[in-house]
Amino acid sequence: MKRFFSVNAVLTTLLVLSIIFAAAATYYKITYWGFSFKPSERTDVWTIDAKVSFVPNGDPIDVSLSLPSVQQGYKILSEDVVANGYEIQKDEKNRRLSLKSKAHKNKQNLYYRVMLYDTEDGKGKFYEEAPQKTKITVDDEQQKVMVDDIWRLVDEQKSGTRAERLIKLLNEKPLSPEVDAFLPVKNTTRVMADKIIFLLGTRGIPARVIRGVMLSEKKRMLPADMMIEAYEGSKWIVYDINSGKAGLPKDFIVFQRGGVSLLDVSGGYDSQVRFSVIKSVVSSFKMAGSRAKYDGSRLFNYTIYDLPTLEQNTLKWLMIFPLGILLVVILRNVIGISTMGTFTPMLVAMSLIKTGFIYGVLCFAVIIGLGLAVRTMLTRLNLLLVPRISAVVIFVILIMQMLTVFGYHFDLKVAASAVFFPIIITAWIIERACITWEEDGVKNATKQIVNTVFVAIITYFVISSEYIRHIMFAFNEWNLVILLIVMLLGTYTGYRLTELKRFAPLIKDK
Amino acid sequence: MVDLLKLFSYPKLMHQAGVLGMNSRNHNIIARYNKRSLYPLVDDKVKTKTLANGIDINTPRMIGVVEHQYEVKDFQKLVEGRKEFVVKPAHGSQGKGVLVIKSYDKGLFITASGKTLTFKEVYQHISNILSGLYSLGGQYDVALIEELVHFSNEFKNFSYQGIPDVRVIVYKGYPAMAMMRLATKESEGRANLHQGAVGVGLNMQTGKAVNAVSHNQPILIHPDTGVDLMTLQVPKWREHLMIGSQAYEMTGLGYLGADIVLDKERGPMMLELNARPGLSVQIANGRGLQTVLKKIDETYPQGLSAEQRVDYVLKQAK
Repeated sequence: MKRFFSVNAVLTTLLVLSIIFAAAATYYKITYWGFSFKPSERTDVWTIDAKVSFVPNGDPIDVSLSLPSVQQGYKILSEDVVANGYEIQKDEKNRRLSLKSKAHKNKQNLYYRVMLYDTEDGKGKFYEEAPQKTKITVDDEQQKVMVDDIWRLVDEQKSGTRAERLIKLLNEKPLSPEVDAFLPVKNTTRVMADKIIFLLGTRGIPARVIRGVMLSEKKRMLPADMMIEAYEGSKWIVYDINSGKAGLPKDFIVFQRGGVSLLDVSGGYDSQVRFSVIKSVVSSFKMAGSRAKYDGSRLFNYTIYDLPTLEQNTLKWLMIFPLGILLVVILRNVIGISTMGTFTPMLVAMSLIKTGFIYGVLCFAVIIGLGLAVRTMLTRLNLLLVPRISAVVIFVILIMQMLTVFGYHFDLKVAASAVFFPIIITAWIIERACITWEEDGVKNATKQIVNTVFVAIITYFVISSEYIRHIMFAFNEWNLVILLIVMLLGTYTGYRLTELKRFAPLIKDK
Repeated sequence: MVDLLKLFSYPKLMHQAGVLGMNSRNHNIIARYNKRSLYPLVDDKVKTKTLANGIDINTPRMIGVVEHQYEVKDFQKLVEGRKEFVVKPAHGSQGKGVLVIKSYDKGLFITASGKTLTFKEVYQHISNILSGLYSLGGQYDVALIEELVHFSNEFKNFSYQGIPDVRVIVYKGYPAMAMMRLATKESEGRANLHQGAVGVGLNMQTGKAVNAVSHNQPILIHPDTGVDLMTLQVPKWREHLMIGSQAYEMTGLGYLGADIVLDKERGPMMLELNARPGLSVQIANGRGLQTVLKKIDETYPQGLSAEQRVDYVLKQAK
């Protein structure tokens, strides 16, 4: 009876399905959990605490705070409000927080906390409203002269927009006499902002203040940072008040912009908002967890990424094995390279990752060399198999010990990496090499060792890549694809690459 | 670089030439026609020998088996009264661990290659066999002591020391391809092609040489003895094929290799069977095995006896 489904067809179908599954899972992880192909293992997380405080005046309280929205370079990880006894409402569209409560007596402290993280893909878009062109007319004759003087100086400059030139002029050191006369003696950023907006207004350039927080460590209980935004050439451009530098700095988190206020408090007075900033460095995967929870994704709890870091690291190490195995299968069944022991080269490659390539290869050569010398001496003693291989194992341990001590005292990294090689595997390589030597000659023994090391090196270069290891861990669903590829290779009946050479004489005769 | 590429052939050409590759052998033939449970029949030489003797296939006579370490010291009792014997591991392969003693006296043993061994060295060798040094996978083994094959003079100049043997590939009971393996100086008296032995492809109908290779390259004369390899003719060819054909019924293996040596007095003898015979027989014959296997699949009748199958093969035009 003919088989209805061939093994091949079933495996191929499963392979296609697994690829679709893996691709979908990868897409999901990137989109919803913020995973990335890049092995950026750590991410900066900024915590901004906004403390709103005011004294109630006996009326029902209504606090309205402008909130930061997603913007270039940063994504919101989590938001938190601490306001006991308040009715909390968040207007996501306009990014405003509203806290309502009945009247209180004592001074009120309310907290809003937002955690932001660095990201490449966060795309912030500002809602662009057309500004109303209103020109400020100066009535005071003396002031008018001063303003004209300043603008004359501004227009003498050539580079940059008018607003940029103006702000730079106002920040010049030493100040030109015209500016000095115009600015008040006790100057603050707030006053400066008002003056800039006023001066721009006299020339019909709409300008306003942006409030937000400049991300920098050790910021405690400070008022909002301000920047100036001016409308020139039919677009809003942000300027640093103290330098005139154009453009919104990457780490300036905007809380309030445009015609709205940063904080409105009704039912209280002496209201103020103070910001504190804390920077923390968090493992990306840990963050993925909180991100997923923030998104309300329960799936995350059942993945390896929700495990403690120790377990995750172990799994990260394991997740590279399937790829190494796939390589071994390809090298053996498709290329046709025979090695000592099926997975020996892969295990050696794993050790090389821990030791570093050059050091590892040198150290391994020394261990094998010394081991072979010792093993050759053992041959003369004619020991039985099990005691003999056991002796080789112990010799390997002693060699490793010797190299480590030697490496430590002479500060030789080469020698110190000895302990990372798998003892039993190394002993078997020595044993097999020695037996092959005796039975099949030096040529075959050397060939076997060279093949083994060659495959180990190839495997090393594939699995040593930080990218590949990260991808195999973060997108572990691809291991399923590897499994099916390996199984499918189990049905590969074509020629091996080495056979094309081996059987070539059969063709040339024809 | 171009020269290097010339060493390789194209898969398409190889397919057309009917070359059987390792993957295809493992997947399409061995996995399909050789049941795993039958392997022990050929992997254990004691079992093979017992089975063969049961159906009157000639094998070197068994003198005894050393099964346990404590029996090793008494091995001389087994060979008492004989002037020569062979010690081999029951689970060995490729002639590994085979010790041929031509003569011995007062604790000194002379091997086939003329080396002198002490009792202790032979004792050690047998111990090594028991501990699994030569067995597949290193499992515990037993040492088989058997009579020496008295090698037919027919091949005197064809082999440099060592025993030339005929390997017959048997597919579904039909002898499909055969070669003779001749030891060389380089192969140190062993008949393994990868160690430098010469492989001579044999005509299936006549047992005459058709082609010869050394290290995968065609040759015409033996590198050490200088004899014209094309003059090689295996005597008692039908009996050789009979052994191969009978091995099919004996083991049930659909694809097997029978190693046969020619004894001066007793004729062709089965030395061992192999459930995973290699593919170098194709190189020795200068043609692909797949073509032959396909022909057997498609045109050869089923349900014949071993004798009928051999006759069928002999009647085929080349």
